[in-house]
Amino acid sequence: MTSEQRPRLRRQWPLLPIALLLVFCFFLPMALMVVYSFWTTDNAFRIVPEWTLKNYQRFFTNETYLRTFGKTLLMAALVTIVGIGLAIPYAWFLVRYTSRRTQRILLLLTIVPFWTSYLLRVYAWQAILGARGLLNETLMGLGVISEPSRVLVYNNNSVFLVLLYVYFPFAALAIYASLEKFDFTLLRAAQDLGAPPWRAFMRILLPLIKPGIVTAGIFVFIPVLGEYLTPTLVGGTEGVLISNLIYNFFRGAQIPAGAAPAFLIAAFVTVLLIVFRRYLRLEDVVSRG
Amino acid sequence: MDMQLTRRRFLQASAGAGAAALMVGRMGSTAFAQSPAAAAEPGSLNFLTWSDHWNPDALAQIGTEQGIQVATSDLSDNSDGLAKLQAGNSGLDLVSGDALWVPAYDANGLVEPMDLSSLTVASELYPMARTFPFFTGANGYLAYPWGWSPIQIAYDPVEVTSGADSWQLLVDPKYAGRIVMENQPIDIMLFAGKAIAAVDPYNMTDEELARAKDWLTALKPNVLKLVAQNGEVRDALVDGSAWIGTSNLGMPDRVKDAGGPEIMAFVPKEGSVGFIDGEMAIKGAANLVRVAPYLEAAATAQWCAQNFLDWGRPLWNEKAYQLLVDMGQKERADRYLYNQPEVALQMTLKGPGGRVGDYLDTFNSVFGA
Amino acid sequence: MARLPGRRGPRGIDVLETMPVSPWAGPMRWMLRLFGLAVLTFLYLPIAVMVLFSFQEGRSVTFPFRGPSLEWYEKALANQQLIAGLVNSIWVAIVVATLATIIGTMAAFGLVRSGVRFPNGIRIAVTMPIMLPGILLGLSLLIFLARAVGVPLSLWTVVLGHLLFTTPFVVLIVAARLSGFPRSLEWAAADLGASPVRTLRHIVLPLIAPAIVAGALIAVTLSIDEFIVTFFLIGPQSTLPLYIYTQIKFGVTPEVNAIATLILLGTLTVLGLGALIASGGRRLRRPREGAV
Repeated sequence: MTSEQRPRLRRQWPLLPIALLLVFCFFLPMALMVVYSFWTTDNAFRIVPEWTLKNYQRFFTNETYLRTFGKTLLMAALVTIVGIGLAIPYAWFLVRYTSRRTQRILLLLTIVPFWTSYLLRVYAWQAILGARGLLNETLMGLGVISEPSRVLVYNNNSVFLVLLYVYFPFAALAIYASLEKFDFTLLRAAQDLGAPPWRAFMRILLPLIKPGIVTAGIFVFIPVLGEYLTPTLVGGTEGVLISNLIYNFFRGAQIPAGAAPAFLIAAFVTVLLIVFRRYLRLEDVVSRG
Repeated sequence: MDMQLTRRRFLQASAGAGAAALMVGRMGSTAFAQSPAAAAEPGSLNFLTWSDHWNPDALAQIGTEQGIQVATSDLSDNSDGLAKLQAGNSGLDLVSGDALWVPAYDANGLVEPMDLSSLTVASELYPMARTFPFFTGANGYLAYPWGWSPIQIAYDPVEVTSGADSWQLLVDPKYAGRIVMENQPIDIMLFAGKAIAAVDPYNMTDEELARAKDWLTALKPNVLKLVAQNGEVRDALVDGSAWIGTSNLGMPDRVKDAGGPEIMAFVPKEGSVGFIDGEMAIKGAANLVRVAPYLEAAATAQWCAQNFLDWGRPLWNEKAYQLLVDMGQKERADRYLYNQPEVALQMTLKGPGGRVGDYLDTFNSVFGA
Repeated sequence: MARLPGRRGPRGIDVLETMPVSPWAGPMRWMLRLFGLAVLTFLYLPIAVMVLFSFQEGRSVTFPFRGPSLEWYEKALANQQLIAGLVNSIWVAIVVATLATIIGTMAAFGLVRSGVRFPNGIRIAVTMPIMLPGILLGLSLLIFLARAVGVPLSLWTVVLGHLLFTTPFVVLIVAARLSGFPRSLEWAAADLGASPVRTLRHIVLPLIAPAIVAGALIAVTLSIDEFIVTFFLIGPQSTLPLYIYTQIKFGVTPEVNAIATLILLGTLTVLGLGALIASGGRRLRRPREGAV
């Protein structure tokens, strides 16, 4: 070990706890699951070491899986884009138009509803959007519609709406954390130099809070790919996402059959993160080398 | 397992069970207290189960009277319970399971068999409950029978005026978007198997599977949603968004209690699917010695009668039926088939079967995007 | 810069004075305020409905509403298993949030600052646990702990499992804040004689505090309603989400709404008191306006 490397290793000790956590609680245990994904379940629901590619092949030979995966990617992208689109003005509102004390209170108020049961909140959404629900009863009472509308019930629209609701706070917190440090006098300087507000926003604000936006994107996009409960609760038969299909295998004690597509999706996300690594860069330029 | 198979295996097993009982008696099972109610060492008992299998008052009484502190853990699905116990070292002593999952637990070497003849409370069971073929293991009885229910089709008679006797009602195009069912893929595959008159709904041939897939494809547009919890079926029937729902026993009463319309329910003529559940002692568990005393105290006619009143589905304790009659609940008990346990053996029992992977793949093909 | 009287913004800078003077500034401010209010309404609408149904008469948790009735509050408060489960959930969430924040913040520093050779690789590795379904996380860790290590299951094994999917969030959000941190502040502090520890405590950490707090909040949120990982890793205990998600055969009752309403009230009260105490202290310490 050269004297150049020694200080670097010593500097990297803060990574030790998470390294231990990941190696012993994630990578080692998950390696077994990867092996299982190439094995088979026998009729007594034991996982037996009969090697097979069937679990992986199924994803590509049965077109349902690819089609549902494509749809899930689209849904995740939409929820991410709209979620970030709503989170930025919300975070702006928090940072610019409220005192620091109010900020903290509003932040907490934003997240506290999510400390109650998710199932209950989604049931409440059903009660609001359902056939005899709040929305329909109000609209019918006002005479806007004569019959309960089903446009927001048990379809892709309701899945989108509820996913947006569930993941908005994560996007908002991520963007708030970055926006809070932003020096707003830069915008004023840009204005002094003649830039219209829109351009100042695009050319100065967005690039500087890019880490926050990227983080928000990761916080929403990846978990949405794994969502199965919301589609079950509000999606009806139309709003199915890929994780529903994966969970059906787990429900039937078919662990290898469910693990394989799950690993395929994780591999896909990993490839995405690698391909777009330049946009996701977070580390300090100064500290390298 | 449908009617014919069940009867045949029933007769076979009765012969076998006699021999098994002899064997167990001779082995003198050490895992279970010989004289139940008496010498139970105080201690804990960890029970993984659904909330309709125990009563907090019963547990409190058992805790004070026998010193057995029962800690209940919540069970969601049979598959989760099996996976958790397969991994080992769970710290659990007793687990509940549905019908054909019990042999699966046993095949994984997870069950400590019981000797029913050593349990006084077992004499209160309907005789047929002591000789279920799927609960009969090589070394004893695998599970203490608890309750059962067929899956019925509940419907609003105002909207559904014909066909209310068959699975084919579900694929009638008149009911597009008007049916709710529980999100249990294997059960739904079993419904399809029954509907297309498969010889063995658990082991459909490729040709039968293809016909089942067609039936499901006709079913899909009729389904409003596949629900996560049974209460959602009730709610959909109450607010009129659904006219037909599949559910365990008791849906008409539940809908009425919630302010919904008068609905009726039937068991389809092609035969139904249902569950028979029971409690299994876990092999190698730390507190096995308290399992028998617990069952003696918790599975009595008194608590079973109470359980029926709380949850509305029949149990296997025959003496409890008499208690219910004495309490003036005969009408209700009869309505819920309490005294017709033979219906239970006519059901195709829930549980994993053969070809599960193919079944689920077929289900995904239909219900995917 | 001389301080003109007027409304003070977040940094004591007079908002009116530094606001860009564009025709859109005024309406923009009101639109954003309205937007903020609309978002909060959207977030709380289902909460209001949920609270409404805690007063429902009968077992249904949807319209039609019948009542009001306190029967479910009585049932909930008498339900010892439910209360015990709630206490367990809160305990786990607090421990998980604390540990995830510590481990995650440390990892963020390591990721952003220590010049690791493959920062991308590490970041992807850290993100991997959230790419996989909870059932695989829980089951794999269970098999590992039960067979390879032989540890008995308890709330601590649950904490381990929860750390897997909460720590990545903390790492990413703190790292995002830390990147582009003005090192000049730290160099200035060092020039003035502050030790690295002192700089960290008094300069860096306070400035990245919003990210740490946000990460902790996310960790609590993810942990407090987690079901499947908890199911596999828990011993003979229960948590509130376990109770709720296992009511498959018969459905939840408004008893759960009652508990959720009580949780909400409790949390809001604690936060309200906390805010009052904090601001009271601050008011005492802030110099009077007008002082130089």
